Amino acid sequence: MKKSPFLLGILLTLTLNLSLTSAEPQGQVVVAQGVDPSTLDPHNHQETPAFNVLLNMFDTLLHRTPDLKIEPLLAESYKLIDNKTWEFKLRRGIKFHNGEDFNAEAVKFSLERIANPENKMKQLSSLKFLDHVEIIDEYTVHIITKEPFAPLPAFLCLYGSMVPPKYVKEKGDTYIATHPVGTGAFKFVKWTKDDQLVMEANPSYFRGTPSVKTVIFRPIPEATTRVAALLTGDVDIITNVPPNLVPQIEGSGQAFISTAPSVRVIFVGIDTLHGGPVADKRVRQALNYAVDVDSLIKNVLEGHGFRVATPLTKDHFGYNPDIQPYPFDPDKAKKLLAEAGYPHGFDLILNSPDGRYLNDKQIAEAIAGQWQKVGIRAQVKTHEWGNYVNMMYTHKPGPVYLLGWGNSTYDADNTYFPLLHTGELLSNYSNPEFDKLIEEARITMDENKRRELYHKAAELIVEDAAWVFLYQQEDIYGVNNRLNWKARPDEGLVMVDVTLKK
Amino acid sequence: MKKHLIRRFFQTFLVLLGVSIVTFAILHLTGDPTALLLPQEATAEDRARFRHEMGFDDPLIVQYGRFLKGALRGDFGLSFRHNQPALQLVWDRMPATVQLTLAAMLISVSIAVPIGILSAVKRNSLLDHVGMVIALLGQSMPVFWLGIMLILVFGVKLRLLPAFGMGGIDHLILPALTLGMFTMARTARLTRSEMLEILGQEYIRTARAKGVPPWSVILRHALKNAAIPIVTVIGLEMGTLLGGAIITETIFAWPGVGRLTVQAIYNRDFPVVQAAVFTLACIFVLINFVVDILYTYLDPRVRYE
Repeated sequence: MKKSPFLLGILLTLTLNLSLTSAEPQGQVVVAQGVDPSTLDPHNHQETPAFNVLLNMFDTLLHRTPDLKIEPLLAESYKLIDNKTWEFKLRRGIKFHNGEDFNAEAVKFSLERIANPENKMKQLSSLKFLDHVEIIDEYTVHIITKEPFAPLPAFLCLYGSMVPPKYVKEKGDTYIATHPVGTGAFKFVKWTKDDQLVMEANPSYFRGTPSVKTVIFRPIPEATTRVAALLTGDVDIITNVPPNLVPQIEGSGQAFISTAPSVRVIFVGIDTLHGGPVADKRVRQALNYAVDVDSLIKNVLEGHGFRVATPLTKDHFGYNPDIQPYPFDPDKAKKLLAEAGYPHGFDLILNSPDGRYLNDKQIAEAIAGQWQKVGIRAQVKTHEWGNYVNMMYTHKPGPVYLLGWGNSTYDADNTYFPLLHTGELLSNYSNPEFDKLIEEARITMDENKRRELYHKAAELIVEDAAWVFLYQQEDIYGVNNRLNWKARPDEGLVMVDVTLKK
Repeated sequence: MKKHLIRRFFQTFLVLLGVSIVTFAILHLTGDPTALLLPQEATAEDRARFRHEMGFDDPLIVQYGRFLKGALRGDFGLSFRHNQPALQLVWDRMPATVQLTLAAMLISVSIAVPIGILSAVKRNSLLDHVGMVIALLGQSMPVFWLGIMLILVFGVKLRLLPAFGMGGIDHLILPALTLGMFTMARTARLTRSEMLEILGQEYIRTARAKGVPPWSVILRHALKNAAIPIVTVIGLEMGTLLGGAIITETIFAWPGVGRLTVQAIYNRDFPVVQAAVFTLACIFVLINFVVDILYTYLDPRVRYE
C-alpha cells in the first residue's frame, strides 16, 4: 500500500495543530487571600500578600524550587569571585511584557533602584548589603557588596524583582505602582483595589507557557467568607483556613485541604537584660521544662503545628538536627525553680498579641496555665498588634512575650542576628560567645564552615534557654477539586505551577 | 432662614474642627506607626531616618498644624502604606459604600415603616406580636453573626445569592440586609410607638368621626405627624449605617471606605484614617442639615428665623 505524501502532510499538520492547541493556556483560577497588596511596585512593599501576587508577574535572579532549593531563574549561573563580588551570568532572549529586553542594564537598574536611599523603597533595608552593580557585558553583571555577605543568594530569591528600566523611568513610580510590567509568567490586565486583580498568561514565558489562561486574585478578609467562597466554587484557592473549618472543607466533596509547614516559628521571648527571676538561667530552663508543647499543638492548634527545638525550622540553612527539644518535665521545672531560690514561684506577666498568629491568645493562656502548675503565678496580658510591635521595637516587651518570626530568606542569619545578637532591634538577650559565632558565620563564605558555626550557636542558646522554644506553624489552604496544586512551605502562590484537571 | 444657614455653616465648621482634633489626638495616642511601616529587618538608624522623613519626631502641635493646613486644601497627604493621595483612596471607595448604605436604608425603611404602621393599627394582634419579635431579633442580632449566617444559608446552602464581593444587584442583597437589619428593627419599633401615641390623640378621633377614610387617617393625619421623630432617627441612622459598613464590608469583602479605614487603623496609616473620618463626618453633617430642612416641611411650626 502506498501512502500519498499529500495525505501524510495533512495528517502531520493536524497532529501538530492538535498539540499546539493543547498547550494553549485555558480556563481561569481565582485565588483569595486575606488582604490586597498595598502596591504593585515589586520594590516598594514588605508584605506576603504582595509578594504572592507579584511573583507571578515578576521574576528575580534566583528563586526557590517547591522543595526550597535555590535555583537560578533569570540568572543562568552565579559564582563568588572574591569575598564581596558575585558574578551573575544572565539568560538571553528574555523580554519584559512591554517588549523591552532583559539584560545587565535591567539588573543594575532594578537592584540599585531598591538600594538607593533616595528612592525610599520599602525594601531598602533588605538590600542594604549592596554596594553597587557593575555591568561586565550585556549578559554579565558583578554584584558588589559593602561587606562580605554570605546569605546573598538567599536574599536574591526574594528581593530584587527585575523591572524594565526605560518604562520605569518614563512612567515614574506612582504610575508603575498600579501598572506593573515584568518578565513573569503572567501579564497584568487590571486591578480594582480591594476587589480584584486580573492577570493573563504570558505566552512567551521563558520557562514555558502557563497552563492557566487567567488568574484573578481577590482579597476576602473574613476567614468564614473565604471558606464560603471556596465551597460555592467562586474561588479556587484560599489561604489561612482556620483549623476549625478544615473538616467543613474536607467534607464538602468540592475542595480539598493542602498544608505546608510554615516559615513562621512561634516562641516565648525572654528579656534577660532587665533582672528579675528570668535573668537566671535555671528559671528560664524551668519555663521550658514546664511547657507541654505537644499538648499545645494538639489541643490549641488542632494538630496544625510542628515542635521545634531551636529558633530555626528544619528547612532553614544552619538548622541543627542534633538538638532535642526540652522535654515536658514539671518536676524538673519545680526543682530548678527551688534551686534558683523560688521554691514558691513568683509573679510573671506573659505579654501576647491577640489575633496576629493562629490562636495566639489561647496559646499564651495555655502556657500561663501550665506555668501555674509548677508554681509560677503567670498572667496573660494581650495587646493590639500595632501597640505590640511598638513595645517590641522599643525594647519594652515585658519579662516574657509571645512572638512569631517568619524568616523568608531561609538563612539562619536573618533569625539569629535581629532576634538574639546583643543590642539588635528585637533582641533582649546578650551572649558574647554566641555573638562571635554568628558574626563570623556572616562573613564565612564556606558553606560547611558556616553551617557548623550556626550549629554551635544553636547549642549555646538552647542550653542557656534564651527563649521558651515552641513550634512552627502549619499553613492551611483550601483548594477546589478541579485544580492540581500543592501548598509551598514558603507561602508562595506560584500560579505557573497550577494545572486544571480534565 | 438665611441667618439660620449662616449659623449652621459656622457650627458645621466648628464640628469639623472638633472632629479633626479628636481624630488626630486619638490616632496619635495609638502610637508611632514606624514599627508597623518598616520591615522587621530595619535597623534603629533606618527607623530614626524614617521617623524624621515622615515628621513623626516633630512636636504633636506642629504635626497637627501641618495636618490642618493640608486638610483645609483637601490634601490629607500620602498614604503611608499605599503611597497614594489619601483622599483619593477614600473617594475611590466611596461609591461602593454609598451604594451599600443607600441599599441598606432603602431595604430597612421600606420594610420597617409598613411593619410599624400595621403593628400600631392592629395593636396586640398576632401581626403586631410577630412584627415586634422580628424587630427585637433584628436589634439584638450581632451584625457579624447575621452576615455569616446569611452567607452560609443563601450563599453556600441554597446557592441563591453570591456570598461575597461587588457585582450586580444580586451581590447587594445580603450585605444590604445585614447592614440594614439594626436600622430596620429600630425604625419599626419607633414607628409603632409614635403611631400608637398619635392614633390615641383626639384629633384622630375627630377625623374618624368626620368620616375620613381609615387609610387616609392613618397615612395623612397620623403618619405625617409621627414622621418627625422617625425622620430624625433615620437621618442619624445614616451615620450608623456609614459607620456600621465597616463590619459588613469586611464580612462580605465589599470594597468600600469602611474596610479601607479598618485596615488603615490597623496599619496606623494616619493620612487615610484622617481623610476617611473627615469625609464621613462631612457627609454626616450634611445629612443632618438636610434633616433640619425636612422638619420645616413636615411641621410648619418649625421655622428658622
